[in-house]
Amino acid sequence: MSRKTTVVALALLLALASAGCSGDRDALTIYSGRTQNLIGPLLEKFNKETGIAIDVKYGDSAELALLLDEEGDRTPADIFLSQSPGATGFLAGKGRLGQLDAAVLDKVDARFRNADGRWVGISGRQRVLVYNSEEVSEAELPDSVLELTGDRFAGKVAIAPSNGSFQDFVTAMRQLEGEEATEAWLKEMVANKPRTYANNNAIVEAVSRGEVEMGLVNHYYNYRFQQESPGTPSRNHSFAGDDVGALVIPSTASVVAGTDKTDEATRFLNFLLTEESQRYFSDQTFEYPLVAGVPAASGLPPLASLRSPDYDVDALGGGLERTVELIRTSGFNGV
Amino acid sequence: MASTASERRRGPARPRPRRRPAPAPLAAVSALVACLFATPLAYLAVRGLTEGGTLAAWTSAATLGPLARTLLLGVSVAAASAVLGTALAWLVARTDLPGRRAARLLLPLPLVMPSFIAAFALLAAFAPGGLLEGLLEPLGVDRLPAFEGFWGALYVLTLFTYPYVYLPVVARLGQLPASLEESARLLGRGPAAVFRTVVAPQAAGAVWAGTLLVFLYTISDFGAVQLLRYETLTSSIYASRVFDRAGALAQSLLLGVLAVAVVAAERAATRGARPGRLAAGARSLRVPLGRWRGPAVALAAGVVGLALVAPVGVLAFWAGRGLVAGSTRAGALVSDAGGLALPAVHTATMAVLAALVAVAAVLPVAYLTVRHASRLAGAANAVIVGGFALPGLVVALALAFWTLQAPWPLAALYQTQALLVFAYVVHFGSQALRAAQVAVAAVPSRLDDAARTLGAGRLRRLRTVEFPLATPGLLAGAGLVLLSTMKELPATLLLAPPGFETLATRIWNATEDAFLADASLAALSLLALSGILTWFLVVRHGNAPT
Repeated sequence: MSRKTTVVALALLLALASAGCSGDRDALTIYSGRTQNLIGPLLEKFNKETGIAIDVKYGDSAELALLLDEEGDRTPADIFLSQSPGATGFLAGKGRLGQLDAAVLDKVDARFRNADGRWVGISGRQRVLVYNSEEVSEAELPDSVLELTGDRFAGKVAIAPSNGSFQDFVTAMRQLEGEEATEAWLKEMVANKPRTYANNNAIVEAVSRGEVEMGLVNHYYNYRFQQESPGTPSRNHSFAGDDVGALVIPSTASVVAGTDKTDEATRFLNFLLTEESQRYFSDQTFEYPLVAGVPAASGLPPLASLRSPDYDVDALGGGLERTVELIRTSGFNGV
Repeated sequence: MASTASERRRGPARPRPRRRPAPAPLAAVSALVACLFATPLAYLAVRGLTEGGTLAAWTSAATLGPLARTLLLGVSVAAASAVLGTALAWLVARTDLPGRRAARLLLPLPLVMPSFIAAFALLAAFAPGGLLEGLLEPLGVDRLPAFEGFWGALYVLTLFTYPYVYLPVVARLGQLPASLEESARLLGRGPAAVFRTVVAPQAAGAVWAGTLLVFLYTISDFGAVQLLRYETLTSSIYASRVFDRAGALAQSLLLGVLAVAVVAAERAATRGARPGRLAAGARSLRVPLGRWRGPAVALAAGVVGLALVAPVGVLAFWAGRGLVAGSTRAGALVSDAGGLALPAVHTATMAVLAALVAVAAVLPVAYLTVRHASRLAGAANAVIVGGFALPGLVVALALAFWTLQAPWPLAALYQTQALLVFAYVVHFGSQALRAAQVAVAAVPSRLDDAARTLGAGRLRRLRTVEFPLATPGLLAGAGLVLLSTMKELPATLLLAPPGFETLATRIWNATEDAFLADASLAALSLLALSGILTWFLVVRHGNAPT
C-alpha cells in the first residue's frame, strides 16, 4: 500500500472518529416506516415551529419494528411511524409501545385508532383494484372483491401476498366474512391462477405495461405513477363502499414505551393531527386525512362516502400470524 | 486447483510451499478476527435456541422447496458467472480486444447496481409491454416472452454478479508471466488452446474464489428474486420475518450453515493446491484474436449493453422525464437533485473505509490459511466467507443485538458510522479474504526465504517483498468490498446513525413510493461514483503497462 493511500486512509479514519457520535442526544428520535418523501417536509416544519430537534431513521416498517424489538429497553427511538398497522400491532403485542393521551386519540375517528391507545392513525389508504384501461373497461370490473374468483378473471389478477396491506385486508376479511369464507376465497383465488408480485409498485408497473390486466393494491401508488408518467393507462377502480375490498387502512404513529421525551412526543403527535399537517397528506401524498373536517384530495371520493366496512381495526395488528398462515396454506407462493 | 499440467511439466524444480506452524501473534489475531466475523451466526444460534423449533423448520416443506430452488439458482448463476467472468477477463487482460481500456472501466460496474432497482429497471425494459417491446413494435414483434422466475433470476443475477469472477481473474492474469503462453503459441497453439492449457489452469484459483462469491451472493440475494418471482430461502425469510420469527431465524441459520458447509467443502477440495507462478510487472502478452475479433467484441459489448446500458437507459429515461417535468410544482418528480451530494460523500467514505478495514482485517487470516495448516485457519475461513451468505437484515439485527448487550464503551458505538463500517466488513469481508488468499498464495515463498536468508525481519519481509507483490490482488479484493458496500441497503437502513443518508438509502426511499425520477437520479449518481472510485482504486493500479 503506497504512502499516499495510507495518508488518505488515516485522514478518513480521523474524519470518521470526529463524526462518530450517534446523533443528538436531546433530539426526538423517530423510526419512520413512512419514507422521507411522505413525511420529511412535515418533520422539518415541526422542527421549525417548535425548535425541537429531530433525528429520523427511515426504513421498512416491518424491519424497523424488528429492530425496535431487538433493541428493547435500550432503544434510542421515541416515536415509531408505520405504513401498516401490522408492524405496529407486532410491537404493541411485545409491550414496546406506550399509552397515548386521550386528547390525541380523540382527534381521530374510532375506526382509525387503537382501543388500548397504543397507536393513532395519521393518514389512510384505500384498497382498490388497479386496472389497465386499454385492456379492460371499467364496466367489466366487479363491485366486490369476492367476485374476483369468477372464471372471467382467471389469470388476470395481480396480488402481492407478502405485502403488509394485502395481509391487513385478509385480516379484515376474516373478521367481516368469517374464517371459513376467507379461506375459501383465498383457495378459489389461487385456483383462479392470480399472478403474484413483490409489492404494490411492481403490480402497478406491470398493469401499466399490460403484463397483467388488474391487481389489488393501495389507491395511492397509481397516483404516483400517473404523476411520473401522465400517459400511463393504469386506473384505480374502487369496490362498492361497504365491500371488504374497499377497506381504508391507516398509517400509524406511536410513542415507544419508556421514552424520556413524552412531552415532545405528544407535541409531535398533536402536530401530525393538525388541520395543516392533515392537508399535507391529502395535497402532497394523495392519502386520506383522518381528522374530521379535512377534505380528501380533489379527485378522491370523500372518506365519509366510502362507508369503509365496520371492522375492528385492532385486529389488523393482532392475529396477523394466523392471516399469514392462512395465506400460505391456501397455496400462495412467496408468503 | 493450480496443481496444473504446466506446473507438472516444470517438474521438481519448484519446491512445495512449506507449511510451518503458525506464529502465536498471527494465530491470536486471526482468532480474534474470526470471533468478530462469527457474530451474526452466533446471534442466529442464540436466538434459534431461545425461539426453538429450528429442526422442525428445517425439515418442513415450507423450507425444503425454497432450499432446493436456492441451491439450483446458486449453482446455475455461479456456473454462468464463472464462464462469463473468466472469458471477459481473458479478453481484456490477454488479447488485442478493441476498446479494452473502456472495457476495463465498464465491466466491473454492473456489480454496483442494487439488485432491487436493477431488476425493476430491467423488468421495465424487457418484460412484456416494456420499453424494448415498444421499440421493436415497428419491426413486427408484438409480444416478448415473460421475464420472470428461474430464467429471469438467472439472467439478472448473472449479469450483476459476473464481476465477482471477472475482477480477481483480471488481477491474476495481469500478474502471470507471458513466457508460458508465448512458448505455447510458438509451438503452434491457437488462442483457444493457449487459453485452455496455459491460462485457465493458472487462473483457476481466482476463478474458484470468484465463483464461490457469486454462489454466496446469489443464495443471499433478495431484491432480484423477489421482483422476478422466484421463491428462494431469502424470500421465504423475508415473508416470515415478523410473523413467524422462529421460522425466519431457522431459515437464516440454514443459509449460514449451507454457506459454511460449501466453503469447508471447497477448502477440502483445494487443499494442498499449489499457488501459481508470478512475475509482477512482467510484460504481458496480447493474443491476436484474428477471426475471433468480431465475436469477442460482440460478447463484451453485449454484456456491457445488457448489464449496464439497458438499466442505465431505463433510469436515464425515468430521470429525464422527471427533470423535463420540472421540480417546482406540487408532488414534484425530482425533489432535490442537489441534495445528492452529501449522500454521495457518505457513500464514498463508508465504502472506502469498509474496503480498507476489510482488507486489513482479513489479511492475517489469509496468511494463516495459505501459509499455515491449522484447524483455526479452516474455521476462520469458513465463518468469514459464511457471513456473505446471510441476508443484510440478519447481519444488522445481529449487530444491534450484540452491541446493545455489550458493556458501555462498545454499546456507545450503536448507530455510529464505526458500527456501520464494522457491519460492512463482517458482511463483505469474504470478498477481500478470497482475493487476499489468491494474492498471498501467488507470492513465491522462496522469495520470502531468500529475504530471510539475507537477514530481513518478518515485518521488513512483509513490507518489501510480500505486500508489493500481493498489492494488485489485495486491491481487487478491496474493490469488491467497495462496490458491494456502496449498494448495501438493509444493514445501512437499520444501523446508520439517524439522518445519515447514503445513495442506496436515497434510492430505496424513492423507489418505495414509486418516485421513479428521484430513484433514477440517485441510482445514476451511485453508478457514476462507483465508476470514478473503480477507476482510481482498481483500474489504474491493476493496469500494468502494456
